[in-house]
Amino acid sequence: MASSSSSGLTFKLHPLVIVNISDHYTRVKSQLNLPPSLTSTSSAATSNNNNNNSNGGENNQQKPPRVYGCVIGVQRGRTVEIFNSFELIYDPSTRSLDRSFLEKKQELYKKVFPHFYVLGWYSTGSDAQESDMHFHKALMDINESPLYVLLNPAINPAQKDLPVTIYESELHVIDGVPQLIFVRSSYTIETVEAERISVDHVAHLKPSGGSAATQLAAQLTGIHSAIKMLNSRIRVVHQYLVGMQKGDIPCESSLLRQVSSLLRRLPAIESEKFQDDFLMEYNDTLLITYLAMFTNCSSTMNELVDKFNTAYDRHSRRGGRTAFI
Amino acid sequence: MNSVEGLLTQIRGLSSTASDVLSLQNVLKQADESLHAESTRLLPFLDQLDPSKHSLGYLYFLEACTAGPVTTESASSFVLIIARFISSCVAEQIRLAPDKFISVCKRFKDQVLSLEEPLRGVAPMLTAVRKLQSSTEHLTTLHPEFLLLCLLAKCYKTGLSILEEDIFEVDQPRDLYLYCYYGGMICIGQKCFRKALELLHNVVTAPMSTINAIAVEAYKKYILVSLIHHGQLSTSLPKYASGVAQRNLKSLCLSYMELANSYNNGKIADLETYVQANMEKFGSDNNLGLVKQVVSSIYKRNIQRLTQTYLTLSLQDIANTVQLNSPKEAEMHVLQMIQDGEIYATINQKDGMVRFLEDPELYKTCEMIEHIDLSILRLMTLSKKLTAMDELISCDPLYLGKAGRERQRFDFDDFDSVPQRFNI
Repeated sequence: MASSSSSGLTFKLHPLVIVNISDHYTRVKSQLNLPPSLTSTSSAATSNNNNNNSNGGENNQQKPPRVYGCVIGVQRGRTVEIFNSFELIYDPSTRSLDRSFLEKKQELYKKVFPHFYVLGWYSTGSDAQESDMHFHKALMDINESPLYVLLNPAINPAQKDLPVTIYESELHVIDGVPQLIFVRSSYTIETVEAERISVDHVAHLKPSGGSAATQLAAQLTGIHSAIKMLNSRIRVVHQYLVGMQKGDIPCESSLLRQVSSLLRRLPAIESEKFQDDFLMEYNDTLLITYLAMFTNCSSTMNELVDKFNTAYDRHSRRGGRTAFI
Repeated sequence: MNSVEGLLTQIRGLSSTASDVLSLQNVLKQADESLHAESTRLLPFLDQLDPSKHSLGYLYFLEACTAGPVTTESASSFVLIIARFISSCVAEQIRLAPDKFISVCKRFKDQVLSLEEPLRGVAPMLTAVRKLQSSTEHLTTLHPEFLLLCLLAKCYKTGLSILEEDIFEVDQPRDLYLYCYYGGMICIGQKCFRKALELLHNVVTAPMSTINAIAVEAYKKYILVSLIHHGQLSTSLPKYASGVAQRNLKSLCLSYMELANSYNNGKIADLETYVQANMEKFGSDNNLGLVKQVVSSIYKRNIQRLTQTYLTLSLQDIANTVQLNSPKEAEMHVLQMIQDGEIYATINQKDGMVRFLEDPELYKTCEMIEHIDLSILRLMTLSKKLTAMDELISCDPLYLGKAGRERQRFDFDDFDSVPQRFNI
């Protein structure tokens, strides 16, 4: 079902959508987390695949629930930008989509975001399935060519990319019968400044919720790893240039042009006042670190001296703590 | 004689690899007695050994040679031999017999001093120190000997180079006291009063179970240097000073404490009368030079106090307040202080006014960044060492025993004492 899309559209996905889908899924899943003694769940968005209905009540928790919703955004020319999403009520066993709910939601969103319109729908799962096509066709009366955003909620620590895929529908002739099939398309993540703050916030919150100290440490670790990565990338470019200079690697003018244009962008600011302020702030930070180190050292030294005095001074002051009964 | 010959061949044979050297060491230890018995006749045998290859054997022979009484003629030849040995010996072999090496070097120092040419001993002793210490943080018994030679030869700069290193390991406490005391004197000679104060402070606060003379002398100098450098003396010793020192030192240096008191009052005339009265006492302690510097520093202290009250002042007023004789003298003093970096001021010679300024350091330069960076790195290494020591002492049974006895008892279970020994 997945081959590359040939529609030539570029997709831009905002992180809010991903967060929304994941939130929806997590909410539903945690609401479902009932002890095995209870037989059925009542949430409308649950569904088990038709195959697993025979398992009945005891195995509610084995198959993760699928959630459904709509994605909205803007299409300008060949660029489709997906900004937001909302949930829908859909029962795949009966294949009934709550139309009135959808329309009400659309109206509400239209009031706040007049430019957005329904671009497609989303769901969760590991791969696109045949049954999804029905939903897809159902949405076709709102948008002639809707998108299908699929989030894979399985957590795979080895995976480096986001588990989000975007599918389009195309009319292909298979065995002489024109059929709509899903084709995968590539996308990029796009952020607005405001979104970056919340994404940062979400990314940096540790699960334990840490105090201010661990949050600061987490933030600084983030900055540190970012700088480390920048450093390693620069090293790679540097090695490449050195190799080119030595003649081990054939010269490529386009790459050289790119490197030179990058270098010409720096330094970003160069003026005496900037140097002054920069050095002053740098010095201030260093002095504060120095002060912190000093305090740390002094307190260790103080403890050491106390212990030494207790252990070795023959006539140290007795604490005078007598028996307490 | 045969045994000596046999020993020589063994030395020559076994000096090549590290394991051979260890077996050679055992052989030599056993032969030590016989060597000492023949000490007078060993000198010609030394020529058959090469100090750079057979350092350990040479060391044993040398030590036996120099064990007996030494006449002045042989002293100078011995000095030459030992100096050559020190410069060409191999450090690893010597570290196997450190006490022999130390005794050889001490005799070297005695001979150099008896010849009254301490300068000859400075360079060899420095090499000896570097070869004996296992790292720059290690204080050996040779350090104070070296500093003593520097002091007597008046070459303070060489001494200063050794004093720059931080010490973390000490072999014998007496080494530490002597090292810091001599080091303090060298720094006073070079007018680095800050470092001198630091070193003398180390002697005074070093752990000691009974009061010793080195600490008393050091405390006297400490009082004087503290007055010169800081203009004041803190009356109580810090809490890491040993209890012995805290109780006894002040009573042993009474006249110096009186001097500090009259200094604090700020009246120059009183100070001078007191100094005159106790001249011989200070002289007998060899502190007369320092006391004179204390008296001259009181002018500086008073001028510095003026900077806290006035923004501008005329030279005449300065002379009057500080009890100097003329504005010319006041100008000289202020000029000297500006040059030394002790105050920040400008002198307007036209109308004889002095304007006191703020510290012009803006902390904006790259040099300052480097300076702070280096200090932070040093602090980090120091902090690591301190935490390691803290952990060590927390496991010390002596500490645990005492700490266990004194902890608060809130519950019946707390009455069990901390076990002193585990009987398994």
